[in-house]
Amino acid sequence: MSHRVAEPGAASARLGDRAFRGLTLAVGMGLIAVLVVVLWVLAQGGAPALARFGPGFLVGRNWDPVHQSFGALPYVFGTLVTSAIAITLAVPVAVGLAILLNEPVGRAVTAPLASFVDVLAAIPSVVYGLWGLAVLSPAMERHVEPFLRATIGRIPILGRLFSGTPSGGDLFTAGVVLAIMILPIVTAISREVFSVVPRDLREAAKALGATRYETIRMGVLPYARPGIVGATMLGLGRALGETIAVSMVVGGGRSVGASLFAAGSTIPSVIASQFLNAQGIGYHRPALLALALVLVTISLSLAALSRLMVRRTARLLDGGSVEGAAEGPALEVSG
Amino acid sequence: MIGERRWKRAGVGGAIVFALVAAACGGSGGGGGGGSFSGVPLAGAGSTFAAPIYTQWAKDFNGIESGAQVNYQAIGSGGGVDAFTKQTVQFGASDAPLQPEQQSALPGDAIEIPTVLGGVSVAYNVKGIDTGLKLDGATIGDIFLRKITSWNDPAIAALNPGVSLPNTPIKPVHRSDDSGTTFVFTTWLSMGSGAWKSGPGAATTVQWPAGEAGKDGSDGVAGYLASTDGSVGYVSYDYAVANHLGVAAVKAQDGSFVAPSVDSISAAGGGLQLPIAPDTNVLNSTAPGAYPLATTTYVMIYANQTDKDQAQTLVDFFTWGLTKGQDSAAQLEYAPLPEQVAQAALQELSKINVGGTPVTASSSVTG
Amino acid sequence: MIASAQTGAAATFGRRRLKDRAFTAFLWACGGVALVPLGVIAYYVVRRGLPALSVAFFTKTPAGPLDPSAGGMVQSFIGSGLIVGMACLISIPLGILTAIYLSEYGRGRIADAIRFVAEILLSTPSIVAGLVVSAVVVTAMRSFSAIAGSLAISLLMWPVITRATEEILRLVPQELREGALALGLPRWKVILRIVIPTAGAGILTAMMLAVARGLGETAPILLTALGSDYVNSSPWRPTDAVPLRIYDYARQPLEALQQVAWGGAITLMVGVLVLSIGARVLSARQERRLR
Repeated sequence: MSHRVAEPGAASARLGDRAFRGLTLAVGMGLIAVLVVVLWVLAQGGAPALARFGPGFLVGRNWDPVHQSFGALPYVFGTLVTSAIAITLAVPVAVGLAILLNEPVGRAVTAPLASFVDVLAAIPSVVYGLWGLAVLSPAMERHVEPFLRATIGRIPILGRLFSGTPSGGDLFTAGVVLAIMILPIVTAISREVFSVVPRDLREAAKALGATRYETIRMGVLPYARPGIVGATMLGLGRALGETIAVSMVVGGGRSVGASLFAAGSTIPSVIASQFLNAQGIGYHRPALLALALVLVTISLSLAALSRLMVRRTARLLDGGSVEGAAEGPALEVSG
Repeated sequence: MIGERRWKRAGVGGAIVFALVAAACGGSGGGGGGGSFSGVPLAGAGSTFAAPIYTQWAKDFNGIESGAQVNYQAIGSGGGVDAFTKQTVQFGASDAPLQPEQQSALPGDAIEIPTVLGGVSVAYNVKGIDTGLKLDGATIGDIFLRKITSWNDPAIAALNPGVSLPNTPIKPVHRSDDSGTTFVFTTWLSMGSGAWKSGPGAATTVQWPAGEAGKDGSDGVAGYLASTDGSVGYVSYDYAVANHLGVAAVKAQDGSFVAPSVDSISAAGGGLQLPIAPDTNVLNSTAPGAYPLATTTYVMIYANQTDKDQAQTLVDFFTWGLTKGQDSAAQLEYAPLPEQVAQAALQELSKINVGGTPVTASSSVTG
Repeated sequence: MIASAQTGAAATFGRRRLKDRAFTAFLWACGGVALVPLGVIAYYVVRRGLPALSVAFFTKTPAGPLDPSAGGMVQSFIGSGLIVGMACLISIPLGILTAIYLSEYGRGRIADAIRFVAEILLSTPSIVAGLVVSAVVVTAMRSFSAIAGSLAISLLMWPVITRATEEILRLVPQELREGALALGLPRWKVILRIVIPTAGAGILTAMMLAVARGLGETAPILLTALGSDYVNSSPWRPTDAVPLRIYDYARQPLEALQQVAWGGAITLMVGVLVLSIGARVLSARQERRLR
C-alpha cells in the first residue's frame, strides 16, 4: 500500500493535493458522523421511553398504545426466535455448501451452484415477502407445519415448539424465510475462511490415508472454526435487522410462548408496521425509537465482532488479510 | 445534519426537476370559486378502514378537477392524527374522534367531519346454520371469552327459538395485528358484556383467551372464516359480503335484532350530532332500524388555511364527497351518511377560510 | 485374537468409508437444498408475474377500488427512478471520495476507523435508516417526500460504494501511480486522471451493485417517501416506488391488485438481476485486466 515517491516541489501542486486530501478525509469522517448521528437520533428520541419504563422496557410483556404502557418483550422475543431458527437452518447448509464449493471435485457442477447461491442475495426483500405470503405461508400451514406437529411435535420437550394450531403466518415461517435470505452471506464468508486454511494440512492428512471426511474434520474445520463463528454472527446480524420480508410473514402477533406456530413480531417488523401510525403524544414513538436503538446496537456490535473474528482467522492462517472475506457475496441482501 | 453537502447537492438536482415540473404545471390552479378551477395536489393520510372510499373519491374527483391529485395513504388512524398535527398532510383521517389531548396538540383550529359509515359484522361459517343467526353482546362476549364453546349452547338456542343448532365446536378467530376493527368490536363488547369489560377490555389489540386463532389483517380473518367449519369472527361489512360469509343479526337497544346492511348501517348515523365531540360514536344507536355495531370515520382539516388553491381543492373535494361521492359509498359496501348529517358536515366545511375569507365550493362540484 | 482384530480393522475401515460417503452425500444435499428456494421463487415470480405485464401495467396509475384491474403502476417506476436517481447523486460522490481517502491517502488510525465503520454500516438494518430520516428530515420538512427516501437509501448505499470502490482502487497497479508521480504530476491529479479512469469499469460495477440494492429497498422508503397513486416528479412530495407498491398490494385481498404486485416483482427482479449480473461480469473482466 505504501507509495512513497519524491513529490515535485511546486507549491500549488502541494496546495491542491492538500485540499483534495482534506476533502476526501472530510467525506470519510462524514461516514463516521453518519453512524454517530444515527445513534444520537435514536438515543435522543428513545430516551423518554427508556427513562419512563427503565430496564422493565425490555422484559415487559404489555405493548399497549391505548394505555401508554410499553414493554418490548414480545418483539425482542420474536426477533431472537426468528433469527435463531434462521441460524439453525442456514448455518449447517451454508457450511456444507462452502465445503462442497471448496472441494476440487465436481467443479462443473459446483461453479454454477456458487453463482446461483449468490443470486439469492440479490433478490429484493419485498419479493421474498411476496413469495412468503402468497406461496410459502399457505404451504407451511397446510403441509409442513401439520407434518412437524405430527412428528417432532410428539417428542416430549422439543415437541412444545411444534405444538399449537399451524397458521402459516408465524415465527417459524419467518425463520425459514430468513434462513434463505442469510444463506448466501454465511456461505460466502465460510468459503473465504476455508480457502485460507493452509493446503499442506489437508495434503498431510490425505497422505496419511484419511478419507475426505476425516481430512475436513481434522485438517480444515478446527482452523476455520472462528471464521465460521464470525460468518454466523454476521448472518445473525442480518437476520435480526431484516424488515419487510419478515413483517409480511411473521403474523403481526405478539407471542412469547413456546409454540413456533404462533403469530409474532420482530423489532424491525413492529417499527415498520407501527411507526407511521404512532402518535407524537405520549410514549409510542419514543418506545419505537428505543427499540430501534436496541436493534442497531445489537446488529452493529455483531457486525463489528464478526469482522474482527474473520480478520483474526485470516491473520492467523494467512499472515495476510482477506479484506474481501468480510465483504460477503458481491450482491447484497436488501431490506 | 446528515452532511450539509448532500443537501445542497440534492437541492440542485431537486431544483432542476422542480422547476421543470412547475413549468409544466404552470397555469393550472387559477383563481378560486370560478368554474375554471382545476385543483392542486393534496396529501391525506390515516384510517385504513376508509382508504377504499377516499381512493375512489380521489380517482373520480381527478376527472372533475384535473390538477387535483388527492394522494391518500392508509397508515392507520393514529398516524393520520399525528401527520395532521405535524402538518405533513393537508387532511387527516381517523376512525375515532379527536381526543382532548390530541386537540390541544393541534397547532390551530380544525374541523372534524364524518364522511361515510361502516359496520363491523359478526361473521360465521357453520354447516347447518344459515345467515342471520341472532346474537347479543353478552353472548358474543362469552363466545370470544371461550365460556360458550359449542354452537348448540343453551344461550345461543335461547336467542334463536326454532333454529336447529349443530353441536359443532365454536372456533373464534380474531385479528392478531393492531386494528381499528378490533377497537370497534371490543368497545362494543365492553358495552354489552360486563365480563368482557372487566376482562380483555377495549383496544386496538387485546389479550385474547388462550387457544383462539389469530389472523393478520381482515383478509386473514375472512380467509380463516371461509375455510373453517364452526368458525366465528369479526370483519368489516364489506369483507363479509365479498366472502359470502354468514352474518349475525345483532340485538339492538330496543330489543330487536338487526342484520348489517347498507340501510341499517346508514340508519345508525342518524343520531350523529355535529360538531363531533371526543365521545361521539354511533355504536348501539337508538335510531330506528339501526345496526348496533356501526362505526363512522372522520376527516380533519384546519379551518384557517394559508394556501388559497389548496384550501379551494380541499373544500371542493370534500363537498363533492359529501354529495355526489356518497353514491360510490354503497358500491364499496360503506353506508352513505343520512341526508341531514351530510348537510351538517357541509356546514362545518364552510368554516374553512383563507385569512378570514370563507372558501366556497367551485361550481364544478356544486353544479 | 488376530482374526477378531482384523475384522475389527475391516469394520473400522467400513465405518470410516460409510461416514465418508454419508458426509459426501450431506455436502451434495446442501447444494441441492440451497438450489430449491431459488428455483421455487423464480418459478412463481415468472409464472404469476408474466401474465401481469401489459401496456396498462407500464403506463397507467392505479385505478379506483371499484375497478381495480384497470390500473397499472407507472407512478412506481417513475418514483423508483426519481428516488434512486437522487440517491445516486448523493451517495456516489460521497462513496467514491471516501474510497479514495481509504485507498490513496489513508493510513493509521483514522483510516482504520473509517474502514471499520464502513464495514459495520453495511449491516445497518434498513428500517433504521428510514426511521432516522423520517424522525429528522420528514418532520423538519413537514412532508413525506422523494428526497427523504433518497437520503435514507443513500445512508445504505454510501458504505456499499465505499467498500466496493476501495477494493477496485487497490487493484490499480502501484507502478502506474509511481510513474505518473515521477513525471511531476501532483497526487490529486494522478488520482483523478490516472487511477480513477484505470479503475473506471470497476467503479461502475460498484455503482451498479449499489443501485441494485437501492432499487430493491422497501423499508427505508416506507417511512420516508410514503407512496402515492400519482405520477410525481417533484422531490418534495410523497412518491411511490416499485417495492413499496408490491408491499402494499401483496397484502390486499383483491386478486387484481395481487397480480399487479407479482408484475412489480418480476420487473424488479429483472432490473436488479441485470444490474447485479452485469456488475459481476464487468468486475470479472476488470480484475483480469488489472491482474
